[in-house]
Amino acid sequence: MKIQKEHINKIKDYLWEIPTSFRPQYMNVPARILASETLLDEIMEDRSLAQLVNVASLPGIQGASMVMPDVHEGYGFPIGGVAATSYPKGAISPGGIGYDINCGVRLLLSSLNRETVQESLGVLSRELYNHIPSGMGKGGSILLSSRKMHEVLRNGAEWAVSQGYAKAEDLRFIESNGKLEMADPRLVSERAKQRGKDQLGTIGSGNHFVEVDYIDEIYNTNIATAYGLECGQVVLLIHTGSRGLGHQVATDHIKIIMGAMEKYGINVPDRELACVPFDSEEGQNYFRAMCAAANFAWCNRELISWEARTAWAKVFGSEVDDLHLMYDVAHNIAKLEEHSVEGKSSLMIVHRKGATRAFGPGFPELPEKYLKAGQPVIIPGSMGTCSYVLAGTARSMEITFGSCCHGAGRRLSRTAAKKQVNAPVLKEELRSRGIYVEAGSFKGIAEEAPVAYKDINEVVETVHASGIATKVAKLKPMVVVKG
Amino acid sequence: MSIEYLPHTADIRMRLEASSLPELFQEGLLGMSGILKEKFCEREKELSLQIPINISATDPGCLMVDFLSEVLSVSYTEKAIFCRMELTALSETNISAKIYGAPYSELDEEIKAVTYHEAEVKKNTSDLWESLILFDI
Repeated sequence: MKIQKEHINKIKDYLWEIPTSFRPQYMNVPARILASETLLDEIMEDRSLAQLVNVASLPGIQGASMVMPDVHEGYGFPIGGVAATSYPKGAISPGGIGYDINCGVRLLLSSLNRETVQESLGVLSRELYNHIPSGMGKGGSILLSSRKMHEVLRNGAEWAVSQGYAKAEDLRFIESNGKLEMADPRLVSERAKQRGKDQLGTIGSGNHFVEVDYIDEIYNTNIATAYGLECGQVVLLIHTGSRGLGHQVATDHIKIIMGAMEKYGINVPDRELACVPFDSEEGQNYFRAMCAAANFAWCNRELISWEARTAWAKVFGSEVDDLHLMYDVAHNIAKLEEHSVEGKSSLMIVHRKGATRAFGPGFPELPEKYLKAGQPVIIPGSMGTCSYVLAGTARSMEITFGSCCHGAGRRLSRTAAKKQVNAPVLKEELRSRGIYVEAGSFKGIAEEAPVAYKDINEVVETVHASGIATKVAKLKPMVVVKG
Repeated sequence: MSIEYLPHTADIRMRLEASSLPELFQEGLLGMSGILKEKFCEREKELSLQIPINISATDPGCLMVDFLSEVLSVSYTEKAIFCRMELTALSETNISAKIYGAPYSELDEEIKAVTYHEAEVKKNTSDLWESLILFDI
C-alpha cells in the first residue's frame, strides 16, 4: 500500500507521524517525519517514507523510526534517518549506518577575511586541488604499512597527531575526540585494509568536497562568539568519509549478518535492513569493525586538513598559524548513547544514516568553550549555494534522539541532473558569481549541481523552527574542490 | 541482451535482460564496468589481468550481488576494470569463473557498494532472465 497524505498524522508543527496501525503486522513503533508541509510533500515524491516504515520493524527499536527534513530514498534505510534500538539485545544494522562509515564534515577557521583572500582565490583553488587528492580511483601520497594501518584503525585522529600531521588541540574539537575506543582492527578484513592503504588524505567522489567559504550572516552572536565565528571570516569545509576501507567493512559484515539472521529468528522487509542483536557475536564483530572504520575516517579528515593547511601556507605564508578546527561531526555512524523514551532513560544503539548528532548545552564531551553553546552542527549545502553552522539543543534529545539533518538532501537522480545541467555553463555561471570550481570532471559538476538538491534554506529553517538545533551562521562558497 | 541504467534519487539502478543465466552474469560484469568507466570495455582490447572467482549464495539474486561485489572489490585492490569472464560452473547458488580485465588510471564513477536492496534474478514474462541491481554511489 502506497503511503498517502491521509496515512500521516500531524503531531505538532514540523512533526508528522505514520502510526503503527498503518502496518500493524510489522511496525514495532510509529514512523516520524520532521519536516515543514512543503518539504513533506517533496519527501512523498520518492520512496523515503516506505523505507522509513520498514525501519520501524527493526527488533528492539525504541520510540519511533525517524527522518529529518533532508531525507531522500536510499536502499533499505532512507538517507536522513535515525533509528535507536535497545541496548544490549536490540538490533545493530549496518544498513542503518551506510557503506560510507563515518562520512562527515569538519569546519576549519582562518584568521583571514573575505576581502583579504579575494585576489588569491584562483591560486588558492589550484593549490588546494593540487594538494588534496580527489577524483575517482586515485590514491594519496601516504602509503600505510600493515602496522601503521592497525594504529590508524585503533587510534583514529590521534594517529595523525602522533605522526606530526595535526595539532593535539584538534582532538578536543572532534566528535568522540576522533577515536572510538571499541574499535578492533582485527575485525577489519585484509581486503578492506588493502583498499584503504593509499586512501588517507583523499576526498573521493560523489558529493564529497573541500570548500573555502566565508561567513555571510550570523544569526546568534553569543554562540557564534563561542565557536569563534565572525561575519566575513574565511573558513574551510571538508566533507568525506572512510573511503574504500569503510565501504568494504560494510560489504563484508552485511553478508555475514544476512547469513546469521535466521539463527536469531529475524526477518526484515528489505535485505539491506539485515540486522542481528547488538550483543551477538556477529553484532559485536560488526560494531567493533565499524568503530575502526570510523576511526579511519576521522584520521582521513585530519590528513585532508593537513593537506589544506599546507596549501594555505603556500598561498598566504607559513607565518600564518591558521585553519584551527572548529568541529568535526559524523553523519553515518552508530553510537551507544543514553536517551529517554516516555520518561524512561536507558542506553541505546543510535543509528544515524545521513543524520548529524546535535547534543545540547552541558554535554560533557564538548570542549569547555562550547559547553554553554551546545554541540556545533555543520550542515553542508549543495555546490554553489550555502552551508550552515547550527548548535544542538536540549530539544533534540526530546524528539530526535539528539539528531539533526545532514545536508540539503538530493531531489534529482544523477541521470536527471546530467540531462538538465550543462556543466561548462554552470561552471562559468558559478565563476561569474565569484565561485571557483576545481573538479576532476564536468560530469561530477553536473551530478552535484544545485538543481539536484532540495532548498537547504527550507531544510535549515525547519530544523531551527522545530527547535532541534539553533541557527548560528550561514556560509557562502568561494572555492569548491571536488572529485 | 540489454543493459539499462534506471534513475534513482541518489544512486544507480541497473536492469539486465539476457537469454541465459551465463549471459546475465556476463552482462552484469559489463554493466558495472560501464558505470566505473564508460566504454572502457569497448576500447580495451588487451585484458591482461586474470583473476579466479568462486562465490556461493543462498539464491540467484544474492549470487548476482555477491558476484558483482567480489568483482568490485578486486577492481579496487587491483586497480583494474573487468570486462569478460570464462565460466567454470554456474548454478542458481554458485558461480566459478575466471574474470579478465585491464588496469585503469582513473574512474568515471566510484561505486561504494553493490547493494542487496530489491536485488533479484528471475525469468520474466518474455521468458528472458532479468536482474535488477542498485549500486550505492
